[in-house]
Amino acid sequence: MDTLLNVAHGFGVALAPINLLYCFIGVFIGTLVGVLPGIGPISAMSLLLPVTLSGTPESGIIMMAGIYYGSMYGGSTTSILVNIPGEAASVVTCIDGHEMAKQGRAGPALGISAFGSFFAGTFALIALMLVAPKLASVAIAFGPAEYFSLMVLGLVVLTFLTQGSMAKALLMACIGVVLGLVGLDSITAQPRLTFGRLELIDGIGLVPVVMGLFGVAEVLINTEQAIRRDIINAKITHLLPSKQDWQASAGPMGRGTILGFFLGILPGGGAVVASFASYALEKRLSKTPERFGNGAIEGVAGPEAANNAAAGGAFIPLMTLGIPPNVVMALLLGAFVIHGLQPGPLMITQNAGLFWGIVASMYIGNLMLLVLNLPMIGMWVQLLRLPYNILFPLIILFTIIGVYCSSNNVFDVYVMIAFGVIGYFMRKLGYEPAPLVLAFVLGPMLENNLRKSLILSQGDLSTFVTRPISAACLIFAVALLIGPLLPALRKKRELVALDEGA
Amino acid sequence: MNDSDNVKFRLNNSELWGGLIGFGLGIFVIRAGLKLKLGTVNDPGSGYVLFYTGILICLFAGTIIVTALTEGGPTFGSRWANARWTKPAIVIACLVAFALALDPLGFLLSSIPLVLLLMRLIDPVRWELAIPVSVLVPAGMWWLLKHALGIQLPSGMFGIG
Repeated sequence: MDTLLNVAHGFGVALAPINLLYCFIGVFIGTLVGVLPGIGPISAMSLLLPVTLSGTPESGIIMMAGIYYGSMYGGSTTSILVNIPGEAASVVTCIDGHEMAKQGRAGPALGISAFGSFFAGTFALIALMLVAPKLASVAIAFGPAEYFSLMVLGLVVLTFLTQGSMAKALLMACIGVVLGLVGLDSITAQPRLTFGRLELIDGIGLVPVVMGLFGVAEVLINTEQAIRRDIINAKITHLLPSKQDWQASAGPMGRGTILGFFLGILPGGGAVVASFASYALEKRLSKTPERFGNGAIEGVAGPEAANNAAAGGAFIPLMTLGIPPNVVMALLLGAFVIHGLQPGPLMITQNAGLFWGIVASMYIGNLMLLVLNLPMIGMWVQLLRLPYNILFPLIILFTIIGVYCSSNNVFDVYVMIAFGVIGYFMRKLGYEPAPLVLAFVLGPMLENNLRKSLILSQGDLSTFVTRPISAACLIFAVALLIGPLLPALRKKRELVALDEGA
Repeated sequence: MNDSDNVKFRLNNSELWGGLIGFGLGIFVIRAGLKLKLGTVNDPGSGYVLFYTGILICLFAGTIIVTALTEGGPTFGSRWANARWTKPAIVIACLVAFALALDPLGFLLSSIPLVLLLMRLIDPVRWELAIPVSVLVPAGMWWLLKHALGIQLPSGMFGIG
């Protein structure tokens, strides 16, 4: 009953005209960045982070969340029609989605992708409503040791799932922690690694780091190759899938939803992992696996449902524990912090309107996305024809403006350009930026909780292994660290390793 | 990757250089941690986490160096094979020039040439499209930020903007 009352309260907040407007702007921009290759939700969210300052916390966070799940919808359009993933979670959709389009079945592919996304998004929200308050009540009992171990686990999972060498991913995570510690020590107020620069006293800003590593570096990588787009020119018809399509897709959609939701909750996981896992699962379960790669609708329905369910599930660790499970959620945490809010176990009770308002707005956003992505598909197809040589200078301009607006400081623009160049060379040398950014956000929290737990336990390191939740997290983290040394596990890791940041 | 693109004890082994840079960074972080004071295990100081993170950085960088020396790694040339490396170099040069010009010239006088150069130098856009876009978009953004959001972008020594 309480949940129903809270949901009603949440809809009251979400249906306020200003919040509806922000929600629409969020899902619209989300679809836009999902559709456009070369700019992903991370760049768009960091670009718009300063804009959230102009409204209430509810409006700003509703818009940011909208960009994230909106991009999951939009990404599939580009994958199906152009065979270029609009964002990383839609990579798998290219395989069968584009094949279907080439066979003249772009309509059903787009249709099942949108309906699957809607179904999964709805499920994830209902699960979020039910799971989050319960988990929050459990999380109140978490101490610094549990938080520390959970963050370590999150970082290790992300490095495990990152493409390429695990040593490189761990190195990136450590560098991220160091960068996160630049500025005043939160306990002793001693300046660290500031090199006498006043601008660094408050630390390095999240926005310039993310915009540099993801926005500018992405542009630099893209300018190396002329992007060739093979857009399906035929008129897109029959967006509503047939009865056979529904029959073939129902199972994958259901399985993808559940799998995606749980993978989304896991620290370090997320939409990208979910879509790959769902595709692999459907191929394994199929009686005719040879159809996969040749236009099997199950290969579109499952992953698309999975990535949307994961996008919803990822809100759980952020909202209940205050720990962002991936880079996108780290940016959302940034939005909370900008407004002086700290997500965590107490947020659901202390800021019920905000929490339930965001949840309700996500449902409304899902409905908006259904309208944006089906009847208005023609508009997005036209947008795909916008040449990259016109688009990328504008992306650069918007990143500069976004960074400057976040702090009103030219120094941050320099930081962004520096990280853009560093990010470019990192990618060229096979170092992924995602672990660095997540560690950058978690670094100060990680240090704080480590030092607090050592002070509380009077220097007894066994506190991390005698507390059951902390011990479980550390055991799992250690297993993942030594796992790649075993040949069988290394092979499995290579299969699921992903480019989270694309 | 060709055999000639995978080298072990060679200076153009890109993996080796990646590891060496990481190792150097690790040493720097360890020193910074020591300088800030480690404290004790029951009262960790400001440098405690930095110091141990520095050790981890050295450890992981060391692993990368050993792997590069034992298994070899791609050359710098192969990393940029089939890539138009001059294009990102031009973008970087434009961005550095922009960064140097932003404070003295202000947002409008530095961003209009930046957009125009990027449009013309990478995959050239026609002048009749490049000029209006590079003038109107920065000017429009400046106007929107100043009048709608109340954000003042740098106006430089000429006070333009």
